[in-house]
Amino acid sequence: MQIEVCLPSLGDDDDAVKGGTISEWLVEVGSPMAEGDDLLELTTDKAAFVLPAPQRGTLVERKVNEGDDVAVGDVICIIEV
Amino acid sequence: MNIRPESRFFPAPPTCYNFACLTGNHNPKLIYRMSITKTPKKTFPDWIRQPWPSGDVFSEVKSLLGDLKLHSVCQSAHCPNQSECWGRKTATFMVMGNTCTRHCSYCAVNSGKPGELDQDEPANIAEAVRRLGLKHTVITSVTRDDLTDGGAQHIADTIYAIKKVMPDTTIEVLVQDFDGNREDIALVQAAQPEIFSHNIETVERVFSRIRDRRFTYAQSLDVLRTAKELSQGHFIKSAFMLGCGETDEEIRQTLIDLKEAGCDSVSIGQYLQPTPKHHAVEAYIPPEQFKVYEALAYELGFGFAVAGPFVRSSYRSEALLDSEYAKKRKEIHSDAD
Repeated sequence: MQIEVCLPSLGDDDDAVKGGTISEWLVEVGSPMAEGDDLLELTTDKAAFVLPAPQRGTLVERKVNEGDDVAVGDVICIIEV
Repeated sequence: MNIRPESRFFPAPPTCYNFACLTGNHNPKLIYRMSITKTPKKTFPDWIRQPWPSGDVFSEVKSLLGDLKLHSVCQSAHCPNQSECWGRKTATFMVMGNTCTRHCSYCAVNSGKPGELDQDEPANIAEAVRRLGLKHTVITSVTRDDLTDGGAQHIADTIYAIKKVMPDTTIEVLVQDFDGNREDIALVQAAQPEIFSHNIETVERVFSRIRDRRFTYAQSLDVLRTAKELSQGHFIKSAFMLGCGETDEEIRQTLIDLKEAGCDSVSIGQYLQPTPKHHAVEAYIPPEQFKVYEALAYELGFGFAVAGPFVRSSYRSEALLDSEYAKKRKEIHSDAD
C-alpha cells in the first residue's frame, strides 16, 4: 500500500511555524527505511530540522526537491508500506 | 544566507558582507560567522539541528491546547525544542493571549493591542495540566502594559487554579518586569510558585539594542532582587541568550549581576532569529563553549546552571527542582523549621 507523507503541523496557533525549505533529502528513491529514520532535512528561519519517516517502508517518489519551500500539510513524498 | 566556519585569520571572500562580531574572547576557531552571500537560503552549523515535531504524543498535546484554546510559547516563539518537550508531554503555557504590548527585536511573539483577559484561562490551564498529568509546568505570559497590575493577579490565579486541581504539581512562572512594581511582584510571589523567573535576556551593552525601550537592564535586576525578598524560600531564576554580539567579559559580568540580584539558577542558550525581520544572529556558539559558561556560573556561586545551544529559559525547567542543590536547600529549610 502506498501512503502520502505530509509535513506535520506544529500547532493551531496563527503564529506557529508554517513550513520551511527542503535543504537535503536523506533517503534515495527506492531505498528502504525504518520508522523514525531521517527522511529529509528542512530549514526554518530559526534552525534546521530533520523529518523522521512516519512508518517503515520504501521511498517511492519525492514530491518536493531540495531548495523547495514547503508548507505544513504539503505532500512531501510517497512511501510503500 | 550562508553560515560558514571561519576564523578571524581567514577573512570571508570579498563577495560576502560580514556582519559577524568577533569581539571578545570566544575561541575564534570555534565560532561560526554569518555572511550574506548570493545564496538566499539559510544553512546552520550542524549542532543547530532538531527533529521536526511529529508523533502521537506530540499530536495529543497539540489537540489539547487547541481544544482548550490555550497558547504555548513553544508555538509562538517557534521553539526548536517543541518536538522534544511536547513528546515528553510538557509545554510552556503562555497566558493572557499571544499579543504583547512590547516589541523586542529578537522575539517572535506578535506585538500590538491585546484582547480582553480570558477569565476561564486559569481553570483551562489547570485542566490541561490535569489531563497531561504534569508533575511540573511552566507558565509564562506576554507583557500586558494595558492592565493595571500587568496581569500579576491573573498569573497568581493560574497558579492557584493549578495547585487546587494538582496540589503536587510544581510550577515555574516566567514573568515580565511589571515596570518594577513591587505590589505586582508580590501578587505573583504570594501564590508561591516553586520557581520565579524573569529573564535578563542579554548583557547590559546589548540590552537596549534588542529589548523594548520600556525594559532596562537595571530594572530587570531589581525585579529579581524584589522577587528574592518576597520569596518564601522558593527559587529565583534568570536566563539570557548568546550570539547577539556579547563578549566573554560581558557574559561574566551578567552572571555576577544576576547572582548579586539573588538568582539561584541561570539558563544560557543560543539566540536564534525567528524571521529575517528580527535581530540578526551575530555568532553561533559551539556546545563546548556553552559548557565553559555553565562551569563559570557554578564557579560564581549559582546553585544550578544549564547552558547549551538549545537551552531555553523553560527548557527542562524541572531539572532545577530535581537537582542536588534543591535537595540540599530543602534539607536546610527543614532543619530550620
